[in-house]
Amino acid sequence: MRQYVLRRVGLAIPTLFFVSVLVFAMMRLMPGDVVVRMVEGQAYAPTLEAMRKDLGLDRPAHVQYLEWIGGILTRGDFGTSYWTRQPIWDEFAARFPVTLELALLTILVSVVIGVTVGIVSAVRQNSAADYVGRVLAILALSVPYFGLAVVVVVVPAILFRWTPVWTYVAFTESPAENLKIMMVPALVFGVTRAGPIMRIMRSALLDVLRQEYIRTAWSKGLPERGIVLRHALKNALIPVISLIGLQMPLYIGGSVIMEAIFRLPGVGLFFFEALTRMDYPVVQSVNLIVAALVVGLNLAIDLSYAFLDPRIRYR
Amino acid sequence: MIRRFVLAATVALLALTLPAPTEAQQPRRGGVLRIADREAPNLDPHLSISFLTHSWASMAYGQLVRFPHGPEQRHTADFSILPDVAEKWEYTNPTTIVFTLRKGVRFHNKPPVNGREVTSADVKYSLERFMAKSGFKSRLDQVQAIETPDKQTVRITLKEPFAPFLNHLASPAFTAILAREAEEKFGNFNHPDAVIGTGPFVLKSYQKGVRVVWERNPDYHVKGLPYLDGVELEITPDSNTRLSLFRAGKVDLGHMWGYASVEEGKSLQKSNPEVVVTPTVTMGQGLIYMRTDQPPFNDVRVRQAVSLAIDRKAWSDGLYYGEACIDSGPVPCAMKEWKLDAAKLEPAKAKVLVGYDPAEAKKLLAAAGHPNGFATPAFHWPGYAPPWRSVYELAADSLGQIGIQVELKPEEYGKYISTTYLGKFEKMAIGPITPFTEIDDWLYGTHVPEQPNNRSHVADAELNKLLVAQRRELDPKKRKEIVDDIQRYLADKAYYVYFPTGPQYISHQKHVKGFKHHDGYGLGHRLMFTWLDK
Repeated sequence: MRQYVLRRVGLAIPTLFFVSVLVFAMMRLMPGDVVVRMVEGQAYAPTLEAMRKDLGLDRPAHVQYLEWIGGILTRGDFGTSYWTRQPIWDEFAARFPVTLELALLTILVSVVIGVTVGIVSAVRQNSAADYVGRVLAILALSVPYFGLAVVVVVVPAILFRWTPVWTYVAFTESPAENLKIMMVPALVFGVTRAGPIMRIMRSALLDVLRQEYIRTAWSKGLPERGIVLRHALKNALIPVISLIGLQMPLYIGGSVIMEAIFRLPGVGLFFFEALTRMDYPVVQSVNLIVAALVVGLNLAIDLSYAFLDPRIRYR
Repeated sequence: MIRRFVLAATVALLALTLPAPTEAQQPRRGGVLRIADREAPNLDPHLSISFLTHSWASMAYGQLVRFPHGPEQRHTADFSILPDVAEKWEYTNPTTIVFTLRKGVRFHNKPPVNGREVTSADVKYSLERFMAKSGFKSRLDQVQAIETPDKQTVRITLKEPFAPFLNHLASPAFTAILAREAEEKFGNFNHPDAVIGTGPFVLKSYQKGVRVVWERNPDYHVKGLPYLDGVELEITPDSNTRLSLFRAGKVDLGHMWGYASVEEGKSLQKSNPEVVVTPTVTMGQGLIYMRTDQPPFNDVRVRQAVSLAIDRKAWSDGLYYGEACIDSGPVPCAMKEWKLDAAKLEPAKAKVLVGYDPAEAKKLLAAAGHPNGFATPAFHWPGYAPPWRSVYELAADSLGQIGIQVELKPEEYGKYISTTYLGKFEKMAIGPITPFTEIDDWLYGTHVPEQPNNRSHVADAELNKLLVAQRRELDPKKRKEIVDDIQRYLADKAYYVYFPTGPQYISHQKHVKGFKHHDGYGLGHRLMFTWLDK
């Protein structure tokens, strides 16, 4: 187990190095010029050159890369935003709890809905409940979360002069007020993410329910509730957990739009604004941090398999 | 007797049914105005060129001079110059302006400045910092020296006579007066505690990504102003959410300037008939720009054909419910004081500028050696707000009617803004232009070689003489005459082809009073005169 973890951590290093090079190169290969962008085409040539020098963009690309990555490795310094002139880590650290909370609530909503409907659908296969559940899953898969979010915000405002958007309050400041604000985006996002979970849950559970040890449990006269929840569900959850792990980048990526629509001061919005402004250091550093988080999370998910199925061994 | 009674009864009835004579409402002190808008990328007015930064800065900072707002302004593009921190100014010769500072103007009462009086040294420090650090520093390229003979006097010497200079000083985008102590303590003016100016509002708190709160400056140098106790700006990046907050009455303004598109405005009038919606032709211009230094657009007949192919009246009807301004260039519709209406031009020239005659356009193309037309790309950024996508398609369709096959070439914003927007494109491009506050930018900036906004690559020696002359002429009347000559000269050159300018629907809640649109980038001064009737 220890060796497995060390090996996975070792493998993460080249992965993150590759991510850092890729994102650094992609930002510079993007069409356009950040300096021109900063002055929206209104500056005169001497201003552009001076700004380029001021930002250090007049130096060779490899020097810029080494300075950026060197700052992270030696001083934990992720650099400063070209636009806000603020240290990137400070802003990321201030915003990350918002995105994390949204992601966790979204996962909670999607798991509760997806797993529940998936179980009912599998246990009552080909019944009316199954058909309803499958239709709902297809619907959840088909409706884009950003479209649903706009509808939830705009339609009540037109019809009832009410909108579920409030001013963000931190959880530490007022948990009740915070949850009131976070629940609507989490519900919207979570409902649309519940579709794939429901489908995977259903098929995985159907698969497990056909296993011999389940048949044995039936033969022994165990109650259905105990068979499904105690014996079948745990094994059927492994692909669901994998799916949640695979969807993690989506939760972060989706937060860009959800945070913009619901006025949440999270990392997604910070990243999106940096991307549209070609704020190289922010995009590079946030990408690297998020990549590290995804790598770490996937490792945690891989390790959780042993808890769900003790037969799994790590080598 | 009966007749007298009937008469008396009629008079009494009329008195009851007719509305009481309206009294001009007196502005009322108090209340907090709520706005939903985007977040400024930076609080330091010299380290950002974003109009959001400069709008926020205008709340807290003062300048030497400013534009008129509220009851002071004659119209939305009134860019006459009023005193602000400077009480008066005088040209001692065509290149030297002496400003006398108003006595008793104090910075906000926040440490480390603690409400001390503004001196000429602050002005010199601020202007020199702008010239050293701002992305707009070239705006003050003409400045040769800034001297401070005494605490109340600032003498600015220019390299040559430069008429736009006062306008640049009045723009909140350029010359906020800052306190040196704040920079010494905080490193720059990006820290919320470093935002210490002489403006009408004091920055009270700033929660990044959430909300910014200003409160009334009790020591503001204009007595009795501002009327509001404070302003809260709810940071709302998404336009749909902003409009929803406005519809739901959670904010008084769904945009800091009250902007709503024509479609949004019409929809608001239906869903929220109680809100105040005022269609206003704001500063702006949409145009076709062409490589006039290369074939086929180096032939004036081809450019004239392009202009004559645009049915501006039909565009206005189709895109803007007939509410657009058709005579939109080269001086934009909103800039009334500088505008020479097409009706005052020679009819043949006016026709090229604003007319529609596809048959004539085809003849001009044939005369220029293109009887069967030609093909051209049209570079553009598709992300501009509606109805821009329709504009691109209409332009392609209109030019197609006379035989010019337009291939629309959408570009990613980063590429567009750093190439096409700066004139680096082949043949043709379509898009809007930055709304400037100074006539020099609309004319000199777009027609003189090497200027970044000369996207059509105009190089016209005769025109250049006029363009240089207007910026060196300090007498407004004489300058206007030159600007009129420039408009007469440009009318049939078709260096740019101008589209109708649609209105913005300036919208606010009914209880918001005194909020007048102004085409400058200031927010503080327009809110200085705003008050709440509730």
